[in-house]
Amino acid sequence: MADAPKTAAAPEGTDGQGTDRRLVAKHGRLVVAGLLAEFPSAETLKAAAARVRDEGFTRWDVHSPFPIHGIEQAMGIRPTPLPWLVLAAGIAGGVAAIAMQWWMNAVAYPLVISGKPFFSLPANIPVVFELVVLFAALAAFGGAMALSRLPQFSHFVFRASAFGRVTTDGFFISIEAADAKFDESATRELMESLGARGVEICRESTGGRHLPKALTWGLVVVGALALLPPLGIAAARHRKSEKPRLHPIQDMDFQPKYKAQAHSALFPDGRAMRPPVPGTIAVGNLNADAHYYLGYRLKQGTGDRGQGTEAKGQTEDDREYFTTFPPQVEAKMRELMDRGQGRFNIYCAPCHGLVGEGDGMTSVRALERRDPEWQVPTSLHKPAVRGQPVGRLFNTITHGLGKMPSYAAQIPVEDRWAIVLYVRALERSQNAGSEDVPEDIRPQLR
Amino acid sequence: MQASASSHPAGERTTLEGLPPRVALVLAAMGLGGLAVGFGLGLAQGDALRSFFRSYLANYCYFLSISLGALFFVTLGHATRAGWSVTTRRLAELVAANVPCLAILFLPILVTVLSGSGSLYSWNGSSAGSEDLLRHKTAYYLNPGFFAVRAVFYFAVWGWMARFFLLRSTEQDASADPALTQRMERFSPAALVLFAFTVTFASFDWLMSLEPAWFSTIFGVYYFSGATVGFLAAIILLAMLLQATGRLTSSITVEHYHDLAKLLFALVVFWGYIAFSQYMLIWYANIPEETSWYLVRQSGSWKWVSVVLLFGHLLIPFFGLLPREAKRRKAILGFWAGWLLVAHWLDLYWLVVPSLEAAGLRLGLIDAGCLVGIGGVYFAGVLWTAGTRPLVPLGDPRLEESLAFENS
Repeated sequence: MADAPKTAAAPEGTDGQGTDRRLVAKHGRLVVAGLLAEFPSAETLKAAAARVRDEGFTRWDVHSPFPIHGIEQAMGIRPTPLPWLVLAAGIAGGVAAIAMQWWMNAVAYPLVISGKPFFSLPANIPVVFELVVLFAALAAFGGAMALSRLPQFSHFVFRASAFGRVTTDGFFISIEAADAKFDESATRELMESLGARGVEICRESTGGRHLPKALTWGLVVVGALALLPPLGIAAARHRKSEKPRLHPIQDMDFQPKYKAQAHSALFPDGRAMRPPVPGTIAVGNLNADAHYYLGYRLKQGTGDRGQGTEAKGQTEDDREYFTTFPPQVEAKMRELMDRGQGRFNIYCAPCHGLVGEGDGMTSVRALERRDPEWQVPTSLHKPAVRGQPVGRLFNTITHGLGKMPSYAAQIPVEDRWAIVLYVRALERSQNAGSEDVPEDIRPQLR
Repeated sequence: MQASASSHPAGERTTLEGLPPRVALVLAAMGLGGLAVGFGLGLAQGDALRSFFRSYLANYCYFLSISLGALFFVTLGHATRAGWSVTTRRLAELVAANVPCLAILFLPILVTVLSGSGSLYSWNGSSAGSEDLLRHKTAYYLNPGFFAVRAVFYFAVWGWMARFFLLRSTEQDASADPALTQRMERFSPAALVLFAFTVTFASFDWLMSLEPAWFSTIFGVYYFSGATVGFLAAIILLAMLLQATGRLTSSITVEHYHDLAKLLFALVVFWGYIAFSQYMLIWYANIPEETSWYLVRQSGSWKWVSVVLLFGHLLIPFFGLLPREAKRRKAILGFWAGWLLVAHWLDLYWLVVPSLEAAGLRLGLIDAGCLVGIGGVYFAGVLWTAGTRPLVPLGDPRLEESLAFENS
């Protein structure tokens, strides 16, 4: 790119008189931008490049269809600083990644994840790796562009007719007119003395280096419009609004129907959800067998509201818990005992402990953390629990007690009975006397 | 042997001819002597040869990895139709074709497994807890019979592949027939797949099963990455050694060293990547069955071996091999190649021994005996394989391209 034209020439197609002053004002003048010399082979090009280097030219380049080994030395190109740039960017990326994760995980938002330290290197390495690669890659790309002075939208060599062969069999040296050593005739003679097959002086207009007006204005308008959304967002962040937010994509979000717990003017009670008729029982949920499904029956005189259904308004005093297992359970005790052990270890042991002493892992952990809210789970071997009828234990699993939640949703009825059965076995194992030991082993006890 | 249309430059020695035959004899004698010393000291330990076998296994897998890396290098070159690597390919072919020697060296391990002694693998022998559920469930795979069958299969595959490439290539030395190159190129993708499977399972069998309750699916890749590092370091030193004796002086240029070093650098990073991938998942999940393997290697003096490995096998050579000049200057490159060979040895020692000796690092004469012993026999085998074969594929159609190769 010629910044300081050395030689001015008359614009083509004018004779230098009259109207050309306006043309010059509009299109500029043609000036010598540089020189393009074509050489017959890669070897002559390399030798010529070495001479051009020794002559002290600085603003020049070599063009060839393929990379020529050793051309860098012939042109006197110094090693590029790009590797150092990439190394520095990579190290910066690594430091940035470490600092970012330290600040996020250890300072701004410390979060315990499975007991690991807030800031620990192994967890950070993947992000460090990614950022090192990202920074290094961006530095390599941006650095290569900047060091090559790209993007460059025009170059005078493209005005030379011979230059089209540069991708097939043309070997060229281009020298910019802006070079301090450049002299139109002397440089041409130099090139010819070096064996150039042809030398072409390339001219370029001083005008026409600016973007067309329409394009300039178009860019200004687009740029201004592009500023509107961020301005709108910035303004909205500092304003309060009562209006609901815009909902541009409807996605069937608004439908003419009642939702759960909604109000309706149609019914006297104002509820859109209609309660079932009193006494309704869903198919397959009659559960009339109170012994099996409830574990208790209501005492005489407390109102007959159906044996199997749970009624409101009862107190403990209204209930009479069954002290025996229901016949369905009695029928397969052996099988249910194993089942009960499995279910107990899954659902109960986390709090009550594998033996039922109230020392499950959850409780141990909560006590370690000195959780003020924590209530130590009941030991199943307390006399109060041991004395409870089986129906009461069943009821506790079904509805929960104190802090213990209901397990009716997780554990089916039969499994609940199996657990009760196993709890009874546990209690017996922890409170066994010598009479529980088989006769033949009893003499070995001391 | 010399091809009529060879583009190879005259005036350099391209065979081992002129090498005194006693070199191979001395190597073999050193090898047998070293093994005898190691075995004798192992017997004197009175621990049912445990300390001998664990050192033997580590050193065996070390030299095995160099040949496996060579096999990979040859196959990869054909699969990618590489031009640059042609002048160094014969060296790799010769190193890879040392499989018969490695198979013989494997016999002591096979014999001890088949005899059910359990002095190497805890899954083997009567001492293995038969009540162990896991042991029970893996017995179909980890039993002496199947172990032997698999080992025979691995050696058959590697020996066959290495022999195929070496024989086709030496056949080409005389005929300069490009069809041979095409045959090798057609075979190479399938060979790579076979190679991946056999190396993975061999590393499972011989190294990972030292702790039969510990699993890592990436383990095969880990062994492979280290193997390639070891081989590239070895071939760089081998080429320098040959050039010092006046061989291949113009066939292998600074450009070839530069590219081998680039590959070595890449594999050092790859090794670190794989090693960390294995470590991080286990560290993150924090499951006792998995962490036990690292716990041993983070306790006692093994902790310091792990730290030395992290710095010596990854961080220091990373920055050491990073500059262009380090890859192009023989003295610097030779230093890093030697460094990485040592680091790779430590890596394999660290893979094997902590699994059997949790107490800590105790290098001794047994280790030296096994290293010198297996190494001596191994290199005697390489010399024997090389014989009078040319050390450059003289008839390869890409030889000219390789000779003129330049990094720019």
